[in-house]
Amino acid sequence: MKYLARRLAYAVLLLGTISIFSFALLQWAPGNFFDSMRLDPHVSAQTVNAMRARYGANGPFVVCYAGWIRSLVKGDMGYSFAYGTAAGPLLWTRARNTLVLTASGTLLAWLLALPLGIWSAANKGTWGEKICGAATSSLMTIPDLLLSLILLLLAVRTGWFPTGGMISSGAANASFWSEIADIVRHLILPVAALTVSILPMLVRHIRSAMIDALESPFIRAARGHGIPRRRLLFVYALRAASNPLITLFGFSIAGMLSASLIVEVVLSWPGLGPLMVQSILARDVYVVIGIVMLSSVFLVAGNLVADVLLFVTDPRIRVE
Amino acid sequence: MPKAATKRRALVCLAMILVAALYLANTRAAQQKEDVMVTSNALGRPGGTLTLAVRSDPKTLNPVLAVDETTREIIDCMNADLIHINRETQQPEAALAKSWSISHDGETYTLHIRRGLRFSDGQPLTADDVVFSFQLYLDEKIDSPQRDLLMVGGKPISVEKIDDYTVRFHLAQPYAAAERLFDGLAILPKHLLESAYKAGTFAQSWGVSAAPDQFAGLGPFRLKEYVPGQRIVLERNPYYWKVDGTGRRLPYIDTLVFLFVPSEDAQVIRFQAGDTDLLSRFSAADFSVLQREQAAKGYQLEDLGSGLEYNFLFFNLNNLDGKNLPAITRKQSWFRDVRFRQAVSAAIDRDGIVRLVYEGRATPLWSQVTPGNKLWLNTALVQPAQSLEHARELLRGASFSWSSSGALLDPSRQPVEFSILTSSSNAERTKMATLIQDDLSKLGMNVHIVPLDFQSMVARLLNSFDYEAAIMGLASGDVDPTSDMNVWLSNGGTHLWNLTESKPATAWEAEINQLMNEQLVTLNYGQRKLLYDRVQQIVADELPVICLASPHVLVGASRRVGNFHPSILEPSALWNIDELYVH
Amino acid sequence: MRRTYKFWITLVLLAGFHLAIFFAGFLAPYSFSAQNRDFSYAPPSRIHFVDSHGKFHVRPFVYQWITVAHRYGSYEENGQKAYPVRFFVAGAPYKLAGIFSSHLHLFGVDTPGRIFILGTDDYGRDQFSRLLYGGQISLAAGWIAAAFSILLGAVIGCLAGFYGGWIDDVLMRGGELFLALPWLYLLFAVRAALPLQVSQGQVFLLLIVVIGMIGWARPARLIRGIVLSAKQRNFVTAARAFGASDAYLLRRHILPQTYGVMLTQMTFLVPQYILAEVTLTFLGLGVGEPMASWGSLLASLQQYSVMVSYWWMFLPALLLIPVFFGYYTLADALQERVKSVAL
Repeated sequence: MKYLARRLAYAVLLLGTISIFSFALLQWAPGNFFDSMRLDPHVSAQTVNAMRARYGANGPFVVCYAGWIRSLVKGDMGYSFAYGTAAGPLLWTRARNTLVLTASGTLLAWLLALPLGIWSAANKGTWGEKICGAATSSLMTIPDLLLSLILLLLAVRTGWFPTGGMISSGAANASFWSEIADIVRHLILPVAALTVSILPMLVRHIRSAMIDALESPFIRAARGHGIPRRRLLFVYALRAASNPLITLFGFSIAGMLSASLIVEVVLSWPGLGPLMVQSILARDVYVVIGIVMLSSVFLVAGNLVADVLLFVTDPRIRVE
Repeated sequence: MPKAATKRRALVCLAMILVAALYLANTRAAQQKEDVMVTSNALGRPGGTLTLAVRSDPKTLNPVLAVDETTREIIDCMNADLIHINRETQQPEAALAKSWSISHDGETYTLHIRRGLRFSDGQPLTADDVVFSFQLYLDEKIDSPQRDLLMVGGKPISVEKIDDYTVRFHLAQPYAAAERLFDGLAILPKHLLESAYKAGTFAQSWGVSAAPDQFAGLGPFRLKEYVPGQRIVLERNPYYWKVDGTGRRLPYIDTLVFLFVPSEDAQVIRFQAGDTDLLSRFSAADFSVLQREQAAKGYQLEDLGSGLEYNFLFFNLNNLDGKNLPAITRKQSWFRDVRFRQAVSAAIDRDGIVRLVYEGRATPLWSQVTPGNKLWLNTALVQPAQSLEHARELLRGASFSWSSSGALLDPSRQPVEFSILTSSSNAERTKMATLIQDDLSKLGMNVHIVPLDFQSMVARLLNSFDYEAAIMGLASGDVDPTSDMNVWLSNGGTHLWNLTESKPATAWEAEINQLMNEQLVTLNYGQRKLLYDRVQQIVADELPVICLASPHVLVGASRRVGNFHPSILEPSALWNIDELYVH
Repeated sequence: MRRTYKFWITLVLLAGFHLAIFFAGFLAPYSFSAQNRDFSYAPPSRIHFVDSHGKFHVRPFVYQWITVAHRYGSYEENGQKAYPVRFFVAGAPYKLAGIFSSHLHLFGVDTPGRIFILGTDDYGRDQFSRLLYGGQISLAAGWIAAAFSILLGAVIGCLAGFYGGWIDDVLMRGGELFLALPWLYLLFAVRAALPLQVSQGQVFLLLIVVIGMIGWARPARLIRGIVLSAKQRNFVTAARAFGASDAYLLRRHILPQTYGVMLTQMTFLVPQYILAEVTLTFLGLGVGEPMASWGSLLASLQQYSVMVSYWWMFLPALLLIPVFFGYYTLADALQERVKSVAL
């Protein structure tokens, strides 16, 4: 309990530091949202300056930061210059959509990677395993963007999957289950892209962790005792390999909000990705900071989950 | 008879209460009172859904605050203006104002509003709404981006209600294209927005998250649903004020769906798949890809020829005193020499740009007015082909020389080396820079390309002036020269190459100032054309900006779209959305 | 035994490849920036042995592409004049390793003929030459960035693991902080703040180095773990009991234990950083024109129009897969060796 409390305190401290650093970085970066308006021949410099002043974009660092903290407490998370509204509500729905995508993608990737990794560790050196290894290595060399475009092209040519969005126009009024079915249909393509992009790395890690475990003396001893292979693999070795896997799982959670950026942009998934790119390019600073903070929360949470799980599963850490 | 008429009116009243007046507008009694506009388009089939993709969500649905193109495109489908520029004829025509008259001195405009029109919520339109709308546009506290448009001679236009259907606008000085000012200025419902305005919360009203019943407009469509990150759905406005030749109320289409598709490639792919019905703003390369499958897929593709966008290279001619940029200040002695700029212009392979950047779907340019702007193009300008010989001659004339290895040396024997800034998000302009770099290397100039993200580039162009040359493009929203005033006036906010001028830095800039200001107050088109022809000639000779090419406007529509008559003026595929129909 | 065999094969192949990249100037027939505006998106030159009259030639030759009238980007062979492929020809000047000037090229054809064995890009530049020259930038960037990551990771990981306590806490939380920062924004900012005269190649190297410096957190975690376990080994405890200083312990007993992991991570990170450029290019931060790099070659495939129109643009990607594959195999093999040494 005390351990958990200490970790939570760390997390809050960390988030605070991240926010200060991000703020400083954004202030330092050249260009700002309002400047590009001046390129419109119809808008005068005076109008632009008036807008800047009104949105408080001119203030010094401390004033801006204090204002942001105040609006954070209110749940606004600052103000989007581009949308003219509080940044918070813009982020919530998109964060939810991103989570739907990344959670299913990550889950699927783990479900596929665990058996694949264990299988290839158990059959190390066989032809089947070599082909599998070659395939995962090759998949790692395909950039996300190309992968997403190829999938999009596939969807277009075959007409099997919807080519973008999350819910069809009509589906929102339909029954709960048909709405779910509709979302699932829209999920297939982006989830496939996401899964394929994270799967190879997972398989490699699981494989190497399992090999380590399988080659350790106690497994050899257990094998010598005649414990069935299946039990050996899934109970003894997997438990021994769980330490690095849990850390890896923590990384998976940590990357939840940022892993799918490219996939979302290409497959027009209404998540944080497109908004992030847009707001960075437009210097819509509070939206950027909002997204950074949201992903930091996940990062911190991922590490926290991993640490807690390790604490629970690994007796050595508990003793320390 | 009168008795029957009263009875009938009573019945109608009853119906209005019962069915929320939805079909009232279609009864003949109402139509006689209503001053509808009869269009001359080919008859279409009512009903159906039209889907198209835009790059991002609308940022607001408030016409007074909208800035970016996507947002305006969506808002324009839900609103109407008093006088509208017909995108096909490029001339102003009556819209919500049935007619207008101009006083002799050209300073007073009297507009007669159509009678009996209704907002999309069924409430009537009167002069009060017009006066209220202009009050919003002109309010300094609201900072509408439209406000600067309505400043004539440094003073805001004033609006005055004459009666319920007449308003009068006063200008501080005669203004040549005053009717064109009204284009795109949506007339807003006073009954819905007044309380927010009085409470000082107007800037927050009509945001994207507001409920559909808070909106009302005079455009062909009204808001039905907005799903963040996915789409915005508009439905037919049953009170729209245009009817076709048979008296059928427009628009034909029942539902208009804008999908948010952030990447251009994905937009093209989805159009090709038949997911969307209209496509605009795509590259020439994608046009070729679409063309290959045109026969099989049967969509319509149109290359409308050059639009109004002009791309140009310009040098930093700002006064850099006190800026501590010694390297750039030194190079400005070249940039300020017109022979240097002429040599650069002569060395550029504009045909190569047209061919390699736009696959031939662009027009080379030597001055700022594009061939798409038929009313104002100076056709007498010479269009010299690329000539390295001529360029070398010009440089020699300006005391430049060449080293033994072929590098160009300036009069003080320093090698000529400079950088060109481009926006990394604009592939076409970066490509132009790459071609120009290669062209200029043949003159012995060592040119670097510096691609920056747009905001960083703008920061250098407008604030720090820490750049040597840059490639930019501007697209006037309108054909009329007044829309480019801020580019050419030496104290204009978009006078990119020299923003530091308190008074014209050169004689020719003084002449441009004088010509532009004169055309602004001249009412006769012929005289204005002569003045603007001269401006184009000066730009072509003095080269404050070295114009490169104007891309063609490319649009596509699925086979099922009828009355598809795209225009080179924005919104090129959507301008006659009220007349479009689906088979 | 078989495992070592595989390891050496991979190593030799990779070394050969790097050598080819090093001698790019000699192997590439043209400069990476030489534009041929009449050959935009020209397909790979066909190498012929039999001419249009049916006559066989021992020396292979190519015909020139000419544009099919009024159709942008479609070419046909002009059978009028054959250009034999010659070896050790004089061509565009280049510098080897930035020192030795030469204009000797392995192969080429007589001007005005051109030979494009992998086709051309939008400016009509030879893709084969760009692939070779691009390797110089990409490999340099990949190695430098990976080295930075590992170096920082090693220093921080060692300190954290060796001293533990609050130092460990601060350093490891700092790692989390680094992972969370909007690094994309940092890259934009760095790019925008650079002076105008910095060349494209330098800008790109700098950006990749920034990425490398940001990427220390994960290697640091790994190395910290190793240091933690090494610290508890008997010989370390023994050495400490003999009064060895911290610096000595770290240098002599603990660091050597991490070399294996460092090397493995390195071979693993190099291709990762090379591929990172593809995403950078998508955001406009890749190596700028007219420079070539592997990331930019792959990135051009990401345009829909290129992907469906010009099949030869896939060739660099196909040729790169074995290289990356080689790196990953090397990483695997190294990992196993490290383990067998440790056991």
